[in-house]
Amino acid sequence: MFAIIVAALIKLVILLAFAISLAAVLTWMERRQSAMMQDRIGPERANLLPPRPGQVLGRLRLFGLVHPIADALKLAAKEDFVPPKAHRVLYAIAPILTLVPVLLVFAVIPFGPPVCMGALGAKAPDLAQCTRVELLQVAHLDIGLLFVFAIASLSAYGAALAGWASNSSYGLLGGMRATAQMFSYEITMGMTVMGAFLVYGTLEPMAIVQKQATFSQWGIVLQPLGFILFFVAAIAETKRAPFDLPEGESEILGFFVEYSGARFMMFYLGEFVEIVFAGCMITTIFLGGWQLPGLMADGLHWFGTVFSMPHWLVVLVQMATFMAKVFLCCFLQLAIRWSVPRMRYDQLMKLGWKGLLPASILNVVITAGVVLWSQAQVLPR
Amino acid sequence: MAKVVSIKRGLWEQLYLPELVRGVGITLKHFFVNTFGSKEIVTVRYPEEKREYPPRFRGVHRLMKREDGSVRCVACMMCSTICPAQCIYIVAGERGDGTAIEKVPVSFDIDELICVVCGMCVEACPCDAIRMDTGRHYPPVDRRDQAFMQKEDLLAAGGPNVAVQGGAGPDWRESYRPLGSDRQIYDREGKLAKQIKGS
Amino acid sequence: MTDTEKNPELASFTVDGKPLSAPKGSNLLDAMVAHGIEISYFCYHPGLSVVAQCRQCLVEIKGQPKLAPACQSIVMPGMEVISSSEKVLAARRQMLEFTLVNHPIDCPICDKAGECALQRQYMDWDAKGSRIDHAKVRKGKKVDLGPRIVLDQERCILCTRCVRFCAEIAKSPQLTISQRGNHSLLTTPPGHRLDNPYSLNTVDICPVGALTDKDFRFQVRVWNLSATLSVCNGCASGCLCEIHHFRNKIYRLVPRRLVDVNLNWMCDYGRSTYKAQASDRLTLPRVEGKDASFEDALARAAGKLGSLEGEARAGIGLVLGADLANEDAFVATRLGLEFLAGAQLYLAAEPDTSEGDAILRSADPNPNRRGVSACARGKLRSAADLARDLSEGKLRVLYVLSDKLHLPPEALEKLRGLELVAVQASHPGELVKRANVVLPACVWEEVDGTVTSAAGRTSRMRAAVTPPGAAKPHWEILVRLARRLGLTLDYATPRAIFDALRVEVEELKGAEWGKDLPPQLLRFAGSRG
Repeated sequence: MFAIIVAALIKLVILLAFAISLAAVLTWMERRQSAMMQDRIGPERANLLPPRPGQVLGRLRLFGLVHPIADALKLAAKEDFVPPKAHRVLYAIAPILTLVPVLLVFAVIPFGPPVCMGALGAKAPDLAQCTRVELLQVAHLDIGLLFVFAIASLSAYGAALAGWASNSSYGLLGGMRATAQMFSYEITMGMTVMGAFLVYGTLEPMAIVQKQATFSQWGIVLQPLGFILFFVAAIAETKRAPFDLPEGESEILGFFVEYSGARFMMFYLGEFVEIVFAGCMITTIFLGGWQLPGLMADGLHWFGTVFSMPHWLVVLVQMATFMAKVFLCCFLQLAIRWSVPRMRYDQLMKLGWKGLLPASILNVVITAGVVLWSQAQVLPR
Repeated sequence: MAKVVSIKRGLWEQLYLPELVRGVGITLKHFFVNTFGSKEIVTVRYPEEKREYPPRFRGVHRLMKREDGSVRCVACMMCSTICPAQCIYIVAGERGDGTAIEKVPVSFDIDELICVVCGMCVEACPCDAIRMDTGRHYPPVDRRDQAFMQKEDLLAAGGPNVAVQGGAGPDWRESYRPLGSDRQIYDREGKLAKQIKGS
Repeated sequence: MTDTEKNPELASFTVDGKPLSAPKGSNLLDAMVAHGIEISYFCYHPGLSVVAQCRQCLVEIKGQPKLAPACQSIVMPGMEVISSSEKVLAARRQMLEFTLVNHPIDCPICDKAGECALQRQYMDWDAKGSRIDHAKVRKGKKVDLGPRIVLDQERCILCTRCVRFCAEIAKSPQLTISQRGNHSLLTTPPGHRLDNPYSLNTVDICPVGALTDKDFRFQVRVWNLSATLSVCNGCASGCLCEIHHFRNKIYRLVPRRLVDVNLNWMCDYGRSTYKAQASDRLTLPRVEGKDASFEDALARAAGKLGSLEGEARAGIGLVLGADLANEDAFVATRLGLEFLAGAQLYLAAEPDTSEGDAILRSADPNPNRRGVSACARGKLRSAADLARDLSEGKLRVLYVLSDKLHLPPEALEKLRGLELVAVQASHPGELVKRANVVLPACVWEEVDGTVTSAAGRTSRMRAAVTPPGAAKPHWEILVRLARRLGLTLDYATPRAIFDALRVEVEELKGAEWGKDLPPQLLRFAGSRG
């Protein structure tokens, strides 16, 4: 019992540390990456050590990686301003309501293969050798993906409440836009996941990943349309360009326009945690999760040779694979944000309801047909 | 009447995706070139690096000096008159030391925050007393009243200028050519372009 | 029917073929200028004798073999004048070149630049480079001619306008030309200084910057100035003048040109009166010696004035200065006679001086004694009466609208015993020191209004600059005071007061308000030379 709790806590720490620190790095990456795309330099001035005598800039700048720390300190130290006529309770709850669900849903993400405890040094241990099989996943839920949708849709409350509670017309409009957008695109997301469900026959993320053992079984191969739809809907769900109308930082103003300081930081961080989470979902469903093509339980099968590895190394490589895939997804999301202009609101709705939703339904129908057909091939008449 | 032109878009274009991929491709190309390859970054890291200004860059004003170190300005107010921003405030007074120079500026203040750096004061000055060739930016200030550069500040940057001021010296006629006399017009290479006969 | 047939006094003549008419025997140059024909001149001045010295106004007159100076010609019927032929223009150019031979052309530092006749004529008629290649004659650069004037002999073009002015108008020949040829100098005769009380007119009429006013010298460039037409308040003569100001500061007063009141002249004293506007002004209301808001000060004064009813009002003394505008005096009189009926009205005036002369200056130094007396309709008693009433203890409250009330020391002592001494004044003084309530007032350069000269001519003052601090016109303070007292004395503008007083004051029935002229930028007004 105790061991289970400790194991769960360790997994929790690993996952959340990964998610939140990656989100923090993304705040820097977003600026630095965009700068590089636009032939600029970007933030690189924050430093840990004071300048040497006669120099202007401080030392230990780490390519600007100190900026997230500086930003966090700055935002935390800022005045926590509450608009005079705001609803104080809801105003305070809204940022929490946005951030907490996003952190919750990480529970079902499998970030590594099942670990065979007690036989870490063995090569391709089979189940009989294990004292216990530890899944690298905080919560092993059979309804995993449903859980994700159930919890993630709660963050729409955060946006709506933030807009309403700050008693600002701009905030309210932003909140309405955000809610409408999140509802619209959630349907598409659900529909595309339905496609994956039909293919893999399960909603449990770990099982889905395990079924993507070879590249040809990856979701992106089996569900190419679903992948694209899910990716687009995920970007819309995280409210990022070209779908960043709810926030529209400086131009059209968004639901957290009245927020400042630490509360603003929650929204801001929440947005980037959402990006990481979107990356996790895409990785899990469509990119084979922690599976590395050619990497099997006994080692790496590449170019006709086998690089044999002990079990613990395989686990570590697969965890690293997962993280690398998530990072790649995040990178892509940021790249899209700095490449595509914002959509108009009617275009956004049109795309959501008239483009993505029919396409995702079509995807489900076709997938269902193909699955039925392939089963009919296997099963005797 | 305005004519409505509806643009025909094919399915390929309406899909957005191919164009999106192309766009991301362009930005990613820049990203990788700037991150790993030959950097094409145009940013100037300001305090350490400075952009080189053209030789005729107009910076902070300065007031030139005579050979004896006194200010060349005779407080004729041409600069404050021409100034489109009305940022030059001159109080004139007597020099009162028995020399041929009668009028000098008692105070000469330029409000550098109002100044639009057009350089017309330099053009208007009949004495070549005010110049904007310091090559320096106007320094940042904390208070409004610090934005005024006073005569002493302006003179501190000013060097000597020994050109003969109009009518002041006994030899000004040597360099003076009446309008009606023979003139030579030179082109940019310094070659004689045109000879004009005097009237 | 032509002009001459209508009016037999007119003579018809032609200039460049253009038929014109002018009174018989009038000056040809005057007639040409009156008809807007461009002609250049330096030495001629409509207020002075004609010497035809600068030769700048030479014209061709049919029947005369040589060019004739227009200023010395008389308009004759049938005269044919040619002012724009090659010959005339060449003569004009040559004379200009000749005039410029020894002129230093130091326009950038010359105070006359911008209103210089030589500068203007050169730009209009010549605008060519000099052909003179020998040294210019050096003369005195900064000759101290008198208490108010500095002369630059190099700039002088020897037109002798100033010499003639001193001899003919000021009746004190303190200037002369000495030496000969191009060494001629303008100077004072030995043992003389240019110190007559009209000497500053020579600066005005100097066509170049040779004569400069010590007060105006180097202060401001003339093209920056704006001119506001007003009336000099230096004495009872009421000379019409222009207030020249820049950035809310007055730099000089100059006479208006060609008006029948003071012709082209103003006395030196009148010109110096602008200095009081900027020196040592009261800017904030005071109650018992402490700075206060206008409302507090008015509340204090109104509280005491309002508490006196019926018979007790005989204890109110209202003093009108002889320097008030008609509008101020009218509002004060209405307040004193109608609303505070029974109050005593006094006139504070400066005593006559010995400075009066037969030229312009009046012995009475009060600009509006006549107007104030008229507005008060004979209800004013003298300052001597006031002193007597004070010493007899008849007064309980004294309200003074003037800087000009000078009480003897024993009367000043009596002020201590009064319940309230309120003063509307522009400058500090003995009375202000003793007042319970001080209300800062405007001086004449800051107000719109009218004054009536000793001769009975009502002229218009126009506000040139904004008052310093919280200072307000006398009438406005009175209107606000009346509002505090609960009275209806609601005049919004001096114009409204003027319209009312023209109806009620018999003596001022014929007065006119005149045009509301905005300040005129001298930069666009052309040369005054």
